[in-house]
Amino acid sequence: MNRLQFIAMRLVKTALVTVAVVVLSFFLIRLAPGDAATVMAGQSGYADEAFMKNLRAEYGLDQPLPVQLAKYLGAVAHGDLGTSYVRRQPVLAVILERLPNTLLLDAFALVVAIAGGVWLGGIAARKPGSWGDAAVTVLAMLFYAVPQFWLGMMAVLVFAVWLAWLPPFGIETMGADFTGMARLGDIAQHMILPGMTLALYFLASYARLTRTAMLEVADADFVKTARAKGISERQVARRHILRNALIPLVTYAGLQASILVGGSVLVENVFSWPGIGTLAYDAVTARDNPLLLGIFIITAILVSLFNLLTDIAYSIADPRVELGR
Amino acid sequence: MSLVSTRDLTVTLPPDTDRAHAVDGVSLEIAKNEIVCIVGESGSGKSITAHAVMGLLPRGVRATGGEILFDGVDLLKEAPDAMRKRRGRDIAMIFQDPMAALNPVVAIGKQVTEQIRAHCAVTERVALAQAADLLGQMGLKDASGLLKAYPHQLSGGQRQRVMIAMALSLLPRLLIADEPTTALDVTTQAQILKLIKRIQAEREMSVLFITHDFGVVADIADRVAVMRHGRVLESGATAQVLREPAHSYTRALIAAVPSGDNLLAPLPDAAPLMAVTGLTKRFRRGGFFARNAVTAVDNVSLTLKRGETLGIVGESGSGKSTLARCVIRLLDPEEGEILFDGADIAHLSPRGLKPLRRRIQMVFQDPFSSLNPRQTVADIITAGPRAHGESAKAALARAADILRLVGLNPETMHRLPHEFSGGQRQRIGLARALMLKPDILIADEPVSALDVTVQAQVLKLLDDVRRQMNLAMLFITHDMRVAAQVCHRVMVMRHGQVVEAGPTRDVFAAPSSDYTRALLAAIPGRGTL
Amino acid sequence: MRFARRFFSRPTALIGFALFAAIALVALLAPVIFARGPFSIVGMPLLPPGAPGLLAGSDVLGRDMAVGLAYGARISLLVGIASTLFAVGIGVLLGAVAGYYGGLVDDLLMRVTEFFQIIPSFVLLMVLVAFLQPSLGSTVIGIALVTWPQVARVVRGEFLSLRNREFVQAARTLGESDARIIFTQILPNALPPIVVVSSMMVGSAILTESALSFLGLGDPNLLSWGSMIGGARSAMWVAWWTTVLPGLSIMVTVLALNFIGDGLNDALNPRRRG
Repeated sequence: MNRLQFIAMRLVKTALVTVAVVVLSFFLIRLAPGDAATVMAGQSGYADEAFMKNLRAEYGLDQPLPVQLAKYLGAVAHGDLGTSYVRRQPVLAVILERLPNTLLLDAFALVVAIAGGVWLGGIAARKPGSWGDAAVTVLAMLFYAVPQFWLGMMAVLVFAVWLAWLPPFGIETMGADFTGMARLGDIAQHMILPGMTLALYFLASYARLTRTAMLEVADADFVKTARAKGISERQVARRHILRNALIPLVTYAGLQASILVGGSVLVENVFSWPGIGTLAYDAVTARDNPLLLGIFIITAILVSLFNLLTDIAYSIADPRVELGR
Repeated sequence: MSLVSTRDLTVTLPPDTDRAHAVDGVSLEIAKNEIVCIVGESGSGKSITAHAVMGLLPRGVRATGGEILFDGVDLLKEAPDAMRKRRGRDIAMIFQDPMAALNPVVAIGKQVTEQIRAHCAVTERVALAQAADLLGQMGLKDASGLLKAYPHQLSGGQRQRVMIAMALSLLPRLLIADEPTTALDVTTQAQILKLIKRIQAEREMSVLFITHDFGVVADIADRVAVMRHGRVLESGATAQVLREPAHSYTRALIAAVPSGDNLLAPLPDAAPLMAVTGLTKRFRRGGFFARNAVTAVDNVSLTLKRGETLGIVGESGSGKSTLARCVIRLLDPEEGEILFDGADIAHLSPRGLKPLRRRIQMVFQDPFSSLNPRQTVADIITAGPRAHGESAKAALARAADILRLVGLNPETMHRLPHEFSGGQRQRIGLARALMLKPDILIADEPVSALDVTVQAQVLKLLDDVRRQMNLAMLFITHDMRVAAQVCHRVMVMRHGQVVEAGPTRDVFAAPSSDYTRALLAAIPGRGTL
Repeated sequence: MRFARRFFSRPTALIGFALFAAIALVALLAPVIFARGPFSIVGMPLLPPGAPGLLAGSDVLGRDMAVGLAYGARISLLVGIASTLFAVGIGVLLGAVAGYYGGLVDDLLMRVTEFFQIIPSFVLLMVLVAFLQPSLGSTVIGIALVTWPQVARVVRGEFLSLRNREFVQAARTLGESDARIIFTQILPNALPPIVVVSSMMVGSAILTESALSFLGLGDPNLLSWGSMIGGARSAMWVAWWTTVLPGLSIMVTVLALNFIGDGLNDALNPRRRG
């Protein structure tokens, strides 16, 4: 199996995951009490039997399950995720409007987490058992145990309320109408607290993973070979230890993406960040099931696409990919 | 005049280890232009000594006494940076497992040029040309292709040649080779030994060669030092040590190398207990989409008589272990029949197999993974009888006798496996098999994980048990010397097929196939020992 | 008990165990100590900790925070332990079968677990709980549904590697039945990672439950630490204790469980054994 075949297989897998997500969604709809007809009938105020029957026929709810599933798959394939009950707009449009804000926040958090985590993990691995190593371990322990939404609230309390260094809520200053660089700066300021809150958990886990991976690689025979060549410790660390330790990190970044999305739902809500996390909260409180389900489908597809990217990165980083995993 | 001399070298282990010193007052001389072997079993300190010379002791392990003079300079007193500059330039090292010793994600070319450019100010292009030239000198073809390849794309022998090329790239004065052929097949091992001897002579280097195998010593060393428990027991010119070993341990080590002197004669003709015909086993390779199959065992036939040991010899990938696992029906063969006591068991269902299970038993290779670490010896060896309906009490009563038979103290039967040594664990594994009073015993590389002296004891035990219980034994091994010692007949396998079969005496005296001849010629120490 | 000695020789494991025992005791005794329940109003809203009779102050509605915290411990531990038991039950069963027998079952299980690894499980959980209607039961079932693949993966991996170990092959040649091999040969050796993963899962289930409750997806008839924080968001500015105390409770509980998990990992890890 060469790299192209590997990537082709991953592409197929991503497509299959997407289909599976939509099929799962189709059955999730049936979990909710009552069908779309009862919900809509309930909203329109009255519901006699004939009206319900009409509605069911109109939406194809009286047809056999496989037919309904096929129709649903077809609709989703055309970007039709239904209509938001509350907003009276296509679900996809509502989500796409908010998506960039979430992507911005998540990308910021991911970059901070990976850069900071690899750096801290490297420091910890250099001298296992040292003060710095212990600090990284303790921090990781703490961040694993703290509820992210609560960490965000505490950050608001400290940095926005008591110290008043940073704005507590939103994506930009209301009514300030900044433009150009000033607006970017304003957004950046607003992003620091939610971004860091989101990043810290992942930063801690990257630090721990980097540390473990580097210590493991440091014991490998080929590191001994590198030292036997008489190259400097710096080069041993960079070219041999770090290079190999980064490979599991690439795969890990993909696996963490789904957790990152969950975290950003919570953090967005704490900081009123106008992304799809706050949208999901609105959907839950308004019982807007099509919108909630749409968010699940879109985030799932995005995460599996991100996994595809990390798989491709992995296939470039590790020549042994052709041996198959 | 010596290039290297260690004086009273002492290497201390970290405080929580089972012994204080890995190396305890070792004095060694390596002259210019000679090959010195340190020979010893595991835990003798031979490898640690080599690493101390290289200045590459593992974390927590320190050289605390004595000196290592290299051309008159004490390496133990060298500044770390000066020592680093010596590594690769003055002293180079190659390791046991070339797959692990090469960085898996860096191309071969880069790994070789890194060594060159660490010490010489040359461009990558110049270094690459040098690297290609070196690979050629190591007998590797298509050097430019190899330079672009990654380690996993090479064979074991190619990898070790690359390692040697790398080590020799700056013409070091001392090459340290730490069991460089142990992980390789016999025929490859012989080629690598020849290569090391050739380049040593060409470049007039000194070589410090670490090995556990006196056969290798006989083949390669000018002088030899025998180590045990961190000390040098004796040292001297190879021929002399081999001829008149002064220390009893050395005599035991040399005697433990199977010599091929007293080969067993084939047994008189009798009806076979088991007859295998046309056995074939294929494995599906790769993932879900891959449909290509590998034929691991290809149309193999054999017979086995009561009281007879049939050796199945082959290198890794020859299909010998797969064959054994098909015969005992751990694997399901695709084709062929296994006639056992007149009935074909090749395609029996698990239920139909059960009564036969007790009649065919197996001893495994790895003394550490072959015993369940969470069960006591008593549980382990009575599991078989209990599975066949014997009461635990009755089984336990017999267990003591069987343990005595395999040379273990029955009072230890309530201990867990980790409290026993490797050789003792193999005895427990044998006891487990014998508890069922089998007719056929399959021994899958039963001694290859053991030290040579222990190897000899376990081989003798297997042979004694075979005689006493009139067992038919199928003995799987990669080692011709071991096969020579215990087998009445041998069968040589390669790529899943039988290359040659016959009485041990005939096969050793007059092999009929080129491959067997090559295998025999590759035996280390052949002719000398 | 060599195992207990190894476990308690780590100070963090000892601390974790002591903390967890204390929290479990409070959770068990809450209805005895605070018979009036967490929803009864005892005084003025937003009284600070230390006000007469109010160890931890009062919340937005004038309810005793201390009672809320004690009852919240019941929910957290109940959800954490129950959902983990479900997830471990399903995961061990499927993981063992897939790892031992391999083949089609294994292929299928691996696809399912990969699917669960890729999809955003918290969003799926929100959908599940919202569609099933928020309640204690739907929370437990939802968390178990999105976490069992994690256990199955670990168990499958262990079984897969142990299946090929020579002592398991030996058991087969002795004629032991599959069930016997799975339960007496493989499972005891696969237990350490299962125990460690389980202890960590209880902690993360508690975190997940608190997040759901914070978003208003908890059982509306029960007071949990997450819903206390969610309900006090508007009061955070003036009465820090309404959010700080339940948050600290979550953190300490999860920390204790993670300490226990780490301790178990060390105590059960055969590599550290002599």
